[in-house]
Amino acid sequence: MSNADTSPHRSLTGWVVPLTATVIGLGYLVAGIVGGDLGFGVFGLALMIVVAGVFLLASRHSETVAGLRDRRDERINQLDATASQVAGAAVLVAVLVMFVVEVARGRSGSPYYQLGALGGVSYVAALVYLRFRR
Amino acid sequence: MKPLRAGRGLSQASLGSALGVSRQTINSIETGRYVPSLPLALRLARFFETTVEEVFDVEC
Repeated sequence: MSNADTSPHRSLTGWVVPLTATVIGLGYLVAGIVGGDLGFGVFGLALMIVVAGVFLLASRHSETVAGLRDRRDERINQLDATASQVAGAAVLVAVLVMFVVEVARGRSGSPYYQLGALGGVSYVAALVYLRFRR
Repeated sequence: MKPLRAGRGLSQASLGSALGVSRQTINSIETGRYVPSLPLALRLARFFETTVEEVFDVEC
């Protein structure tokens, strides 16, 4: 019988999401400073730090969030992958709708056509990569 | 799987902890909402010192 420890605190993996949120917040701060809107930067950083804190706190009370932290539960990893697919599909639909709306307004469709193209190219690249990996 | 777990006096949480998965995952497997991967199925079978066929009621 193995006795695996499911504590997210044992691994650096458990800090990927909070650290990523903090780095995004620092990106907001830099953008705010460069763009001359310090308020936006400070608010953005504070918001992302709060998001990271809520995630860390929630992982102590929710098995699902804890699973998202330590990445060891295959079912939760699968839920995360499916939820990411749904989120990606929602963004893609929004981009395509906005592209059509922009073209119908007599505009070029920018930046939506670039975003749509990026999504399409990313999909094909991932498909080709995964085709040879699995 | 539930009879095997209950027969050993294990809770879903303790079985999940022993296998490195959550209590929810054990519950989902027992209720048929989640089909585990082959590695997890093998780990479960080894944990109960039996075969995969004995752990799961497979309908082919």
